[in-house]
Amino acid sequence: MRLGGCPGRAAALLLAPLAAALLAGCSHPVGPERAGGRFVYPLPIEPATLNFVSGTDQASVLVHRLVADSLVDHDARLRTVPRLASSWELSADGRVLTFHLRRGVRFHDGAPFTSDDVRFTYERIMDPESRAVGRSDSFQPVEKVETPDQVTVRVHYREPYAPALRSWEVPILPAHLYRGADFAAAAQNRAPVGTGPFRFVSWEAGQRIVLEANRDYWGSVPEIDSFVFQITPSPDTALQALLADELDYARLSPAQWEARRHDADFQRRFRDVGYVPLFFYYIAWRGDGSNPYFADPAVRRAMTLALDREGYVRSVLKGLGRVTASPFQDLLPIAAAPVVPGAAGAALAAGSQSPRPMAYDPAAAARLLDAAGWRLDPKTGFRARAGRRFSFTLLIFSGGEDHVQFSQVAQEELRRLGIQMSIERLDWQTLWARLKSGAFQAALSGIIPAPDPDSIYAMLHSSQIEGGQNYAAYRDAETDAWLEAGRRTVDAAAREALYRRVEARLMEQQPCSFLFDPAVAAVLSARFEGVEPSPLGILGYFPGAAALRLRPVAP
Amino acid sequence: MGAGSRASCAALMAGYLLRRVLAAIPTLLGISLLAFAVLNVLPADPVLTWTEAGAPMSAEAMERLRAELGTERSAAARYADWLLHVAQLDFGRSLRDSRPVLDLVGEALPWTLLLNLCAVAAIYGLGLPIGWAGSRRPGGSLDRLARGLLIVVYVVPPFAAALLLQRVFAVRLRILPLQGVAADDATGPAGQAIDLALHLALPTLCLALSGWAFAAHFASATFRTLFAAGPLAAARARGLSGFRLAWHFAPNAAAPFVSLLGAIIPGLLAGSVVVEEIFSWPGMGRLLLRAVEGRDYPVVLTLMLLSAGAVLAGQMLIDLLYPALDPRLREVVGAQAPSHE
Repeated sequence: MRLGGCPGRAAALLLAPLAAALLAGCSHPVGPERAGGRFVYPLPIEPATLNFVSGTDQASVLVHRLVADSLVDHDARLRTVPRLASSWELSADGRVLTFHLRRGVRFHDGAPFTSDDVRFTYERIMDPESRAVGRSDSFQPVEKVETPDQVTVRVHYREPYAPALRSWEVPILPAHLYRGADFAAAAQNRAPVGTGPFRFVSWEAGQRIVLEANRDYWGSVPEIDSFVFQITPSPDTALQALLADELDYARLSPAQWEARRHDADFQRRFRDVGYVPLFFYYIAWRGDGSNPYFADPAVRRAMTLALDREGYVRSVLKGLGRVTASPFQDLLPIAAAPVVPGAAGAALAAGSQSPRPMAYDPAAAARLLDAAGWRLDPKTGFRARAGRRFSFTLLIFSGGEDHVQFSQVAQEELRRLGIQMSIERLDWQTLWARLKSGAFQAALSGIIPAPDPDSIYAMLHSSQIEGGQNYAAYRDAETDAWLEAGRRTVDAAAREALYRRVEARLMEQQPCSFLFDPAVAAVLSARFEGVEPSPLGILGYFPGAAALRLRPVAP
Repeated sequence: MGAGSRASCAALMAGYLLRRVLAAIPTLLGISLLAFAVLNVLPADPVLTWTEAGAPMSAEAMERLRAELGTERSAAARYADWLLHVAQLDFGRSLRDSRPVLDLVGEALPWTLLLNLCAVAAIYGLGLPIGWAGSRRPGGSLDRLARGLLIVVYVVPPFAAALLLQRVFAVRLRILPLQGVAADDATGPAGQAIDLALHLALPTLCLALSGWAFAAHFASATFRTLFAAGPLAAARARGLSGFRLAWHFAPNAAAPFVSLLGAIIPGLLAGSVVVEEIFSWPGMGRLLLRAVEGRDYPVVLTLMLLSAGAVLAGQMLIDLLYPALDPRLREVVGAQAPSHE
């Protein structure tokens, strides 16, 4: 019973028109009884669709992970683990990837899972009608997909493609239900059928999506009875609902976290499952010679040295973040990327072999600038070279809190060094267009890389200056060669060595100043255990939610 | 009044209605154009707002998606296209989930109507008695106390009030649910009705807060005029008392309270957005907020058009109710449109 007594009398007086209902409520438990292991997880926004292929927004993907299975998946340390494929092998030339599927797996409606479902899913991903945004990218190198029998899938690639295995982390559709139906409007898009650890029960529009444990799951059957995604748009409400035991997990804003982290009662009732997501901020310095400042690597180094990234994380983010020097920070080593336990605390900085970030050192920055010819003009207080003042414009996204705050701090830090930086706030559309056109001097942006180092290719390879995401116009023959080799090298150790070279080169060249990864503060009800933080949250790995269980209560 | 004059009165009424409907069209067009312009000025892009923090996407994929959604076309072209479809009563599909906009509205509208009806009932149910009490002894201690309290309630911003109510009733006392419209384990019609009433309590209270002070003040002033000493004494002198006395004054009293409704509703609609967001109420306000955030312009434009249409229809309805309640207006309605603004 969640209702201790009935302190409703005062309330009933206040709520005169609803007093009858309220008094009735005193004999009726508010909210469901959850002794049987019902886990409630908040979603700020509803999934767009529960079609496993078309739904690529964050909320949709979270639900798909529980209802559907993929051939392979990753664990909390981003290591590849088997899911619907029990094993796989790569041909000697690295061009043919063969999956051996688990036998006896059934969809929630009882139909058997076969290689045909895999091929059907692949075909839907490649069909532009499906709007499988972003999913088809990693399947572009696929030449064909063969299904020699019901439990074998053979994928042929045009050339060796190292991220191939990772790309099969897509949830598998039930071909028998979608074939012949209108893919965009099929009933399954709002009542999905998968092979996953939870089966779909209901979707009450705007309220919740209810799943129950799949007792016939091929893997270890979930211990909890049901999993509920509760649509809770307001973060303030999410925190209140967490405190009222209506939610079992919540993400906290830095301010909410700061206000609660030292509260003993809060510490007793909730466990810190914060994490550093695969996301980082950087400033791209346009280095193609279109401006007189940033074609010189020494100047770019000076810029990194002049920005107090540590200070920003400490004072503005309240410690919820980590200074980074490399875009590969969480993506290497490839076999076992370091996991960050608990967002807050000293553990954040540890556990990575990536190069240490350059410390904030304005004096060193000043020396570099002097040596590069940008000398302080005592009359104006600004640096200049050959009569030209060091004055540039930084583009930022006007809607990003970190964009706005960090750029303001940076502006002041650079001013003290004698550099005049203007800030231009743009909406996404305009910012995007400016970045692509190359008509800018510097830009602050953020990237969510896919969990494979090849995802940084688009940011650094010279072929990506036109049309890609190489906004710094970084052109370095050696970096290009290493990135290309990294794409083709299948051996994990050899591949990692290549990306470590890129990393070291970036430290010298600084085409971008890699700034910081903001952390996510998140807590889990102490009534539950079995999940761990991962760079993709408590649900973003396998088994994730399937391993949740009630914590045994001491008698 | 003969049969002929009644028929001509009906014809005049119909003509008046037609004029009102025609006059509403430019208003609605203007509102939709304004909404469209604002949407295009606000910084964001539908593609980026709903892929942000989702699956990573290459620039090429984004471009492909943009081309599919047609967001690359000029704003004027998109607006014209939208108008053309609306003229055929096709409100289009949401950019986010490709579902028909009318389906989304159909899911959300009943919840918003329910919440607003309850709020109106709460405002009238508490505001009018307080106003009545105040009108009996204006300036009395009860009147002053009630007014003071209502002013305090009025100035508390809805989101602060909502958080406070949640903190007290859901987190501390745990007697009311904090969010949503229903628990997922309520069984039987009675259980579900009680469950719904419990879920309605806090959002209704929160939405009604800002209306009470106004309603009570309005009621107090109205009752004072209605029951001015002269007419009351005249009625009593004719032997009216109790229920018959109240009935005698009812038609006079009804008109102002109908127009009070007109004054309250726009405020409720605005308040709904905040209240629905905080209480996770799956209504139109939340739908609108999500659509604006995602630059889902087919949804935003339809919602704007619908709410503007609802306000205009409400005004028209009130204008029609007036002559029904007040015989004096029946004579003039044909000559000129009554104005109660």
